[in-house]
Amino acid sequence: MKTQWMNALALAAGMTGLFTGSATAADYPVRPIQVIVPYSAGGGTDLSARIMADTIKKYLDKPMIVRNQPGGGGSIGTSSILHARPDGYTLGTGAQGPLAMLPHYGGVDYSIDDVEFLALMGRNLMVLAACQGAPFDDAQGFLDYAEAHPGEVRVGNSGAGGANHIAMEGLANAAGLEVKSMPFGGSSAAVTACVGGHIDGVVASPAEVLPQADNGGLEPILVMEDKRIDVLPDTPVPSEFGIDFAWSSWKGVIAPKGLPEAVKKTLSEALRKTFQDEDFLSRMKDMGEFVDYRTGDAYRELAEKDSKTAEAIIRKLGMYGVNQQ
Amino acid sequence: MDISPHVLAVFDPEVLWTIALGTLGGIVIGALPGLTATMGVALLIPLTFGMAPILGLNMLIGIYIGGIYGGCVSAILLRTPGTPSSAATVLDGYPLAQKGEAGKALGMATIASFVGGIIAAVVLAALAPQLATLALKFGPAEYFALAVFGLTIIASLSQDILKGAIAGLAGILIGCVGADPISGISRYTFGISGFASGFAFTPALIGLFALSEVFSQIEKILSDRVERMKVSGIWPSRADLKGSLTTMVRGSVIGTFIGIIPGTGSGTASWISYNEARRTSKTPEKFGTGHMPGIAATESANNAVCAAALIPLLALGIPGDVVTAVLMGGLMIQGLAPGPMLFQQHPDIVVGIFTGTFVATIFMLVFGLLGIRFFTQILRVPRRILTLAIVVFCFVGAYSINLNVVDLYTMVGFGVLGYFMHKFGFSQAALCIALILGPMAESNLRLGLMSADDNVGVLLSGPITATFLILAALSLLLPLYRSYRGRRVAVAAQ
Repeated sequence: MKTQWMNALALAAGMTGLFTGSATAADYPVRPIQVIVPYSAGGGTDLSARIMADTIKKYLDKPMIVRNQPGGGGSIGTSSILHARPDGYTLGTGAQGPLAMLPHYGGVDYSIDDVEFLALMGRNLMVLAACQGAPFDDAQGFLDYAEAHPGEVRVGNSGAGGANHIAMEGLANAAGLEVKSMPFGGSSAAVTACVGGHIDGVVASPAEVLPQADNGGLEPILVMEDKRIDVLPDTPVPSEFGIDFAWSSWKGVIAPKGLPEAVKKTLSEALRKTFQDEDFLSRMKDMGEFVDYRTGDAYRELAEKDSKTAEAIIRKLGMYGVNQQ
Repeated sequence: MDISPHVLAVFDPEVLWTIALGTLGGIVIGALPGLTATMGVALLIPLTFGMAPILGLNMLIGIYIGGIYGGCVSAILLRTPGTPSSAATVLDGYPLAQKGEAGKALGMATIASFVGGIIAAVVLAALAPQLATLALKFGPAEYFALAVFGLTIIASLSQDILKGAIAGLAGILIGCVGADPISGISRYTFGISGFASGFAFTPALIGLFALSEVFSQIEKILSDRVERMKVSGIWPSRADLKGSLTTMVRGSVIGTFIGIIPGTGSGTASWISYNEARRTSKTPEKFGTGHMPGIAATESANNAVCAAALIPLLALGIPGDVVTAVLMGGLMIQGLAPGPMLFQQHPDIVVGIFTGTFVATIFMLVFGLLGIRFFTQILRVPRRILTLAIVVFCFVGAYSINLNVVDLYTMVGFGVLGYFMHKFGFSQAALCIALILGPMAESNLRLGLMSADDNVGVLLSGPITATFLILAALSLLLPLYRSYRGRRVAVAAQ
């Protein structure tokens, strides 16, 4: 009986906090925290966020609740994260597309300056793979062939103006090549077309490429990183060919600007512990996710750098501000 | 290889219980408009983190199979497709419910779903690796041809070819709203960022079929012409079953075929199956008026897609539709990468999933038949109250998918559109088909042309492409020829 009363009291206290905002930042969190994922349930970003919410229970007193708000390539959910009250009860996953790329196309009501970066969770590395029946089967072959046949190599990506599209155009730009970028409706459609030999190359993440590579459906030829990666030790990186280009898409946890300092500290600390948690790391690894924890400041730096790179490529593609009202 | 221990592993009480729970949950999720099988699977994946693979995966498969089936319940009873895959079931299911034969319609839908599910499951278990390669034969050109073939359904579905064509073309235009698939530029969004990825599909369907019907009902209620729906009969007659047998088998085969081709899904399969049933029927005019084979066609096809979509997923690591794409996430979390290696390294998982598919399909049949009595009770609710409840469902359902207010505008807009279309004899089905297939035709045509350096000859010359295009031409010309001959006979008779 007594505990029931206690619970009721706690609930009442929580409600009071909810409506009056009287709970101070030092008590944070007094109620569940909502995490907005700007993509549909079931995708890589969503599942990562759910694993995060499951793990962070250990380090925060209140649960995290994942809420999906897809649409507009992630801009709708991102906009509602950034326009939420900065009290630490509405956070979101900050992904590269909506933060560093979409603002350059125009038609979104936020910019990268509105973002409070809390912690980088992980990155999706970009792999260029040669498809069934492609006229090349390694990086050098690709570079030579593309140079001899400008604009002929058909490279599939996950969607027009998306991270994989920008990755390929950026690489081509840095290497002085011209390719034919073909936007499919999602990575899996592009990889399928590649395995079926309907295109010459595809840009996708290691998790998407590896199972097919093991089956001989396609051949990873280039990883767009600075250094070779563990899961593809034999696949070279652009710098080995004197090409200065690295690109990956990423996701982390963001909040609207103006969080109270104490709240920001509590969250950053809990996120750091979560992203270094053994359980979290092993689950993410099984799912093929590449965890790369970085602090809020390092996260911001990465986002701003990519935003600049993307802007240059988007301008070159003639897509800058196309959706501006 | 001795597979019996792997099969028996599924008959462990705990596994059976989990599959039963998943299937039942799936039926409920599918029956509620706005909750789709995709969401059901996606939201429950975290629950499977800690489960043994056989347990977790089979629960998800149960939800998937139950979810696709469950969509027929609200489609038949309330004219609200619970999932996009049952939109075609509305055509004959709802008229049957209006005639007081909702029970029969649900019985037929349940049996057809079962037949479709079992046939596809047999194909899955027997031929998965062999058939999976079919999935790879489909490039942009082939998808384009398939979409064009699908679009010709509009011609044979419409009583009035002109009105059907208008509805279909309107659907294609509406499908153009949103980001251009190739350049990424927003089209016809009028600056509303919520429309940047086009009209959300399920809210549009809910508006088109359910809300429009609400408007019609309100009109009847206001003019006091409201008739209370009777509910009689919960079992299709022997003659009904016999008359629908070939349709069910054909639907299952179509569903299996479409399910193997990635990215098409159960919506397309059920429309194509419906069309084939109607086209080969001796009494095509009965379709759309509450004809049993109409339900048999759509429900057998959309449930066949479930098991068939697992074929490319397991054998190649290529998801056949959105739900299987989410299921793939569930597999990966368990550390299982689908593909040919899965068959060699984890035969227990593969056989377990095959067996689970059978078991879930059987549970679906049992729950479905037991549930009919309860489902149909909903029609005993007085019309005025039921209509109000459906309005609430429409709004909650349309909002819950993306939690986006813009989707409510979409739903209401399509509701008004659907109401007037119905009133003036334009086919809502034609619009729905065009909404599904128009964007598929557009993006694949443009990708195909890019790939073929704008050479139309190269684009259209592949064997699969050519076959579908010839089929498309035939399915357009045959009804015209028949009506021409019919007129000549009529003239001669005079």
